[in-house]
Amino acid sequence: MKNKQPFFYTGLVCCLVFVFVITTGALADNIRIGVASPFTGDLAAYGDNIKAGVSLKLKEINDAGGINGKKIELVWGDDLCAPKDAGTVASKFAADKSIVAVIGHLCSSATLAAMPIYVRAGLPAISATSTNPTIGDVGKGWFFRNCYTDEFQGKYLASYVVPKLLGKNTVAIFYENNDYAIGLKDSFMAGAKAFGVKVTGAEAYVAKTTDFTPQLTKLLRDKPDTIFLCGYHPEGALIAGQARKLGFNGPLFGADGIDNEDYIKLGGKATENTYCTVPFLAMSAGPAGKEFAKKFTAAYGRDVDWMSANAYDCLGILAQVISQTGPDRKKIREGLSAINSEGNGYNGITGLTYFDKKGDCAKPAFVKMVKDGKFVAAE
Amino acid sequence: MDIRRLSYNRRRRLFLQQLVNGLTIGGIYAMIAVGYTMIYGVIQLINFAHGEIYMLGAFFAITFIVSLGIPFFVALPLSMACCAICGVLLDIVAYRPLRRSPRLAALITAIGMSIFLQNLAMVIWGSRPKPFPQGALPAYFEKTAVSFGGVNLSWFHLFIYGMTFTMMVGLNLIIKKTRWGKAMRAVAQNKTMAALAGINVNRVISYTFVLAGALGGAAGIMTGAFYNKIEPTMGYIAGVKAFAAAVLGGIGSVPGAMLGGLVLGVAEAFGAGYLSSLYRDGISYGVMIIVIILIPAGLFGRVLKETKKSM
Repeated sequence: MKNKQPFFYTGLVCCLVFVFVITTGALADNIRIGVASPFTGDLAAYGDNIKAGVSLKLKEINDAGGINGKKIELVWGDDLCAPKDAGTVASKFAADKSIVAVIGHLCSSATLAAMPIYVRAGLPAISATSTNPTIGDVGKGWFFRNCYTDEFQGKYLASYVVPKLLGKNTVAIFYENNDYAIGLKDSFMAGAKAFGVKVTGAEAYVAKTTDFTPQLTKLLRDKPDTIFLCGYHPEGALIAGQARKLGFNGPLFGADGIDNEDYIKLGGKATENTYCTVPFLAMSAGPAGKEFAKKFTAAYGRDVDWMSANAYDCLGILAQVISQTGPDRKKIREGLSAINSEGNGYNGITGLTYFDKKGDCAKPAFVKMVKDGKFVAAE
Repeated sequence: MDIRRLSYNRRRRLFLQQLVNGLTIGGIYAMIAVGYTMIYGVIQLINFAHGEIYMLGAFFAITFIVSLGIPFFVALPLSMACCAICGVLLDIVAYRPLRRSPRLAALITAIGMSIFLQNLAMVIWGSRPKPFPQGALPAYFEKTAVSFGGVNLSWFHLFIYGMTFTMMVGLNLIIKKTRWGKAMRAVAQNKTMAALAGINVNRVISYTFVLAGALGGAAGIMTGAFYNKIEPTMGYIAGVKAFAAAVLGGIGSVPGAMLGGLVLGVAEAFGAGYLSSLYRDGISYGVMIIVIILIPAGLFGRVLKETKKSM
């Protein structure tokens, strides 16, 4: 059987490579940190941002000699932004004792699914992007985030963006059926009530839908001044296009989920006059943030987005904590929860970050808008 | 908001607009569903990879338009041809070797091919959703062509309706009037007898895959261009919906699949428009389930006696 020989050799080589990879990984004794985001699928663009942000910080730290002589190594976990896959990634991270902390997850639904697993395993997680207000309760002290929550963002949209910035009174809400969008919609509606903004209707859609015209037809019947794109950018872009086709010419607005260059790429001209709130805006940032924006553009050839900036700071916070506590899951958690006041906050490019008891932080929101096919500061 | 509060005119406009929405997506479902039903008709296989042919159609089209600069109206038939070839290849590679094995083996292979093609597209074109190059579409597509009862139909709507209608009529003519159509019907009835009568069964099956592939590809291009999003996973949901449409119409029946697609699309639009938008898909599948319970063979299906197939 001559034919079998090539297979035998390929098999042997594969085994050797495998053994080599495993042993070098274990011998190198790096500080391993898991990064969980959607790296493929609909929301892969978000994962790219996270990767871009943490990779910049990783290079800075490792080029400067690592943490106490040890290099940081990132382990990527693709959760597709789906609770089901987030659970798989979380279990993998939790079981791998060499992973001392997790940056992630990205989508609130994914984080909510992953947190119980991290809590059980005693693995601290810091999310750059999950804004659902209830995560802090599920996280039981093991969850931290350096972005604001939707409780704040929804109110900000209802109290400032719609009535003051846009000067509009009636809003139709189009929200995705997930933890992020439902939480955001609820806090927006509560804020709208308090600030006299009228919600003419709220319709839901499920992710991956392509035809939004039935719901839009229903929403546009009440002639709202503006539509709230309460979800993520791929659907947001389609909704913008289909709303324009149905004859809607008013401004659109959304929250942090809309901020992505793919929103404009997918939606084209229809996305003009879309406003969105973001936790970080290079044009409004301090000197450190502006310098980061320059570095980012030089490295990746595109404008910096808020997710990359927050992810950059997440790794910065972890590195600072680990340099004091050493790479130990429990001690890292204690170190993170010790960052609890303005005095000992982490001063990163996204401003000062310190956590309350639920791991949340208070940070301002900024407003961006699409103008002539580009995101610019709205104010 | 309460619909009853609206004036008669606005209610009528809403109804008509939802009908337009439903017929647009329904026409697309119908075009995919016909592919399912034809293939089921000739080889009793639920070709789960058919949704992937639809996805490939959209990707072929944007590749031709963006990379090669081919105009839309040339890229459309070209991509349909590519999809037809893909359909035939799919049959030759995956299904023909299993023609004499149990049906379940072929079914599992179909699911496997679906997953394989989806991932292949991800490797080739990346997993991020892509926009359809709107500049490639003729400018008048966005303009209003017909206006009735306060509802505007764009040329693009008319183009989709026209395409759906022409293809359906054309397909019916092919099946009813041509020799190949006759051969297809013969193979659908009894493969052994058809072969004994001198019909090259494998070639007839290939022709069926050609037709199904071209129609599925056309549907993919239209969806991509109209709703403006193309991604490797788009075939899954569309495939499931179209399969439901084919079952609704009575699987194996071509007019049934056409009607099933339209009914499903309209049910979806009205379900989302008048009932709850969250349960939009639930409503359309609910309609399917009710029809199947009341008329188990589907709208146009024939009730066949259980016979031992000699395949």
